[in-house]
Amino acid sequence: MAMFLLSESSSGYLLLEVHGLDEIGQNTEAVRSSVSDLSRFGRVVQLIAFHPYQSALDALNQINAVSEGYMSDELRSFLELNLPKVKEGKKPKFSLGVSEPKIGSCIFEATKIPCQSNEFVHELLRGVRQHFDRFIKDLKPGDLEKAQLGLAHSYSRAKVKFNVNRVDNMVIQAIFLLDTLDKDINSFAMRVREWYSWHFPELVKIVNDNYLYARVSKIIVDKSKLSEEHVPMLTEILGDEDKAREVVEAGKASMGQDLSPVDLINVQSFAQRVMDLADYRKKLYDYLVTKMSDIAPNLASLIGEMVGARLISHAGSLTNLAKCPSSTLQILGAEKALFRALKTRGNTPKYGLIFHSSFISRASAKNKGRIARFLANKCSIASRIDCFSDSSTTAFGEKLREQVEERLDFYDKGVAPRKNVDVMKEVMENLEKKDEGEKTVEASEKKKKRKTEEKEEEKEEEKSKKKKKKSKVVEGEELTTENGHSKKKKKKTKSQDDE
Amino acid sequence: MRPPKTGRGGGGSGGGRGLARGGGVSSTRGRGRGRESGRGRGPGRVKSRESESGGIKGGSKVLVTPHRHAGVFVAKSKADALVTKNLVPGEIIYNEKRIFVQNEDRSTVEYRVWNPHRSKLADAITTGVDNIWIKPGVKVLYLGASSGYTVSHVSDIVGPEGCVYAVEHSDICGKVLMNMAEKRTNVIPIIEDARDPAKYRMLVGMVDVIFSDVAQPDQAKILSLNASYFLKSGGHFMISIKANSIDSTIAAETVYQMEVEKLQMEELRPTEILHLDSCEEKHACVFGGYRLPRKQKADNAV
Repeated sequence: MAMFLLSESSSGYLLLEVHGLDEIGQNTEAVRSSVSDLSRFGRVVQLIAFHPYQSALDALNQINAVSEGYMSDELRSFLELNLPKVKEGKKPKFSLGVSEPKIGSCIFEATKIPCQSNEFVHELLRGVRQHFDRFIKDLKPGDLEKAQLGLAHSYSRAKVKFNVNRVDNMVIQAIFLLDTLDKDINSFAMRVREWYSWHFPELVKIVNDNYLYARVSKIIVDKSKLSEEHVPMLTEILGDEDKAREVVEAGKASMGQDLSPVDLINVQSFAQRVMDLADYRKKLYDYLVTKMSDIAPNLASLIGEMVGARLISHAGSLTNLAKCPSSTLQILGAEKALFRALKTRGNTPKYGLIFHSSFISRASAKNKGRIARFLANKCSIASRIDCFSDSSTTAFGEKLREQVEERLDFYDKGVAPRKNVDVMKEVMENLEKKDEGEKTVEASEKKKKRKTEEKEEEKEEEKSKKKKKKSKVVEGEELTTENGHSKKKKKKTKSQDDE
Repeated sequence: MRPPKTGRGGGGSGGGRGLARGGGVSSTRGRGRGRESGRGRGPGRVKSRESESGGIKGGSKVLVTPHRHAGVFVAKSKADALVTKNLVPGEIIYNEKRIFVQNEDRSTVEYRVWNPHRSKLADAITTGVDNIWIKPGVKVLYLGASSGYTVSHVSDIVGPEGCVYAVEHSDICGKVLMNMAEKRTNVIPIIEDARDPAKYRMLVGMVDVIFSDVAQPDQAKILSLNASYFLKSGGHFMISIKANSIDSTIAAETVYQMEVEKLQMEELRPTEILHLDSCEEKHACVFGGYRLPRKQKADNAV
């Protein structure tokens, strides 16, 4: 009775044959002693076939199948190819040892290969695992670990529901790039100005903006060729006809040197580069805004994308930002001042990066600190909602923003702001109503397709009934809908039902 | 929580510059004294807002010597601290303190402080266990890895030749564990229930040591099942037993005895039982061997 072994590994499937069954019998003790001795074990168990996985994706599919106890198609073809054929009606003269009975029964059902998984098989498989690198000659010592590492990462990512869109790394990188770009564009633009001023010095005084300067210099090229025809084009760029005329006038009476065409071409291409960079910066900013609304919509709607992105990048990640207390968030970015004040027992700073949001500038000098603290508290709430909630809605961020506005009003005029509890409840209700509305809209669309108008009218009645019910039951008790589901109000946004 | 990491990064670069100056000064003074450490990170650390290492202030003189266990070191200053050599210099996991030591050839070695209050293995080492069996180059299966605090230190000890298979069931801790594993290539994260080693059998090779810190009532069974799959014959294990999570109604001693008996039935022979009373309550650590060869029994003075 021949016996085979199936061993699954990170690099591929192995099929082995067990020899010397007669001397071992089914004795686990004997197997154990042979396992420890490599040469003996090598005689007992021999490799018949090895099927490496085609790609990382293939490996992931295989491990998903194996861990659930199912047999994948690749495994099936591997087995059928390498094991003796099972004839119809005849009892097969071999059996396949597998690690666990579930996959064994799957294999048996599909291919009629008899499987067994008992202690004996277990011991043999231990031996295979121990001496794995001996069976696969091509593998170098670290290869198996690398394969295991890669496969484990992709397997675990799937388990943890790693969502690529919600990676905050992109925002951090984008913000760094934005800062670097700003510096670079500025220094290049200064260079263009200096360079072109050799040819046309007066232009620097007329056109102040760097970007416009680059564009103007591209149009003018050679100042001696300036004339009235250029005025409309210059007006288009500068926006002011007087300025355009000034440029033309200055061009005629300029004291700058003439440049050869080659030099002029060089300046032009450099000016073009600067313009391209400036355009790219704009696109990058738009990208940043989109990303922020993906990963941290509430934070973005509360304090704006730039400040939000800076906070996230300073903290290191959205999770780190969510974990810190709001007092830390308040002075993120002012560490030097903070530690200096702590050391010399002076006054600690009132705000860090948060200062750049619009609210602080609107507060009077006396209230800047208070608004900073209040804003930091709300930012903490927003970042925590963003980090840990599954859905992505800006409802909370907008309401929090309203609260900050109310607080500003309070300091100005004395108008009492609403309590946080009430505001949050309002948000939850709005979200539920939105869910309800969507649900009934979906349901009513379906019904329109199949049934008549009468049913539609009935549905409308039901909807209004539901809304009435809602307005009664507003104190956070269980809501029961027509179809008998009960919805409980939870602390976080609930959207699992339909989103 | 502690101030954010990149803020530290900014402080770190300042500290690095200060370090060069400080190192220059101390190396001239310390030549007679043998291994002399550089200053800790610059002014930002003097306040030592992390009280994790209990007493080591940045900037103080620290002397680092190897511990009896290979791969672990002791930093001696006003208060002793257990440290491990950082596998990924420059990276910290959860705001632990670091100690920088200057060699004679001006290169810096970075050590991370290991807090016994947070890690049962560190607690066991400071309580004085005989042998932890985890040393550079071994393969460790770590059940109950949680956020990867102790796993990172074990990964420091085993170094680049060894590897740590970290099994953790929960998603939230799993995410943190995976982030940590991305920086450290000798940690293999497995987000799976440790009760089912068959499910992750494709990801794990044969290991030399199993470390189990799962705090489940059936943890003896979990350990023995994993051992039968992955622990080599003659390998060793460590299991941390929390009396309350097995059975909170009976006395702790009885619980430990019960667990030890369960382990012995599965060929996991305990060699040391350590009560961890300094940092935790009603906790014990059991160290032992798996399928140890019979003839050793006579030699072992257990």
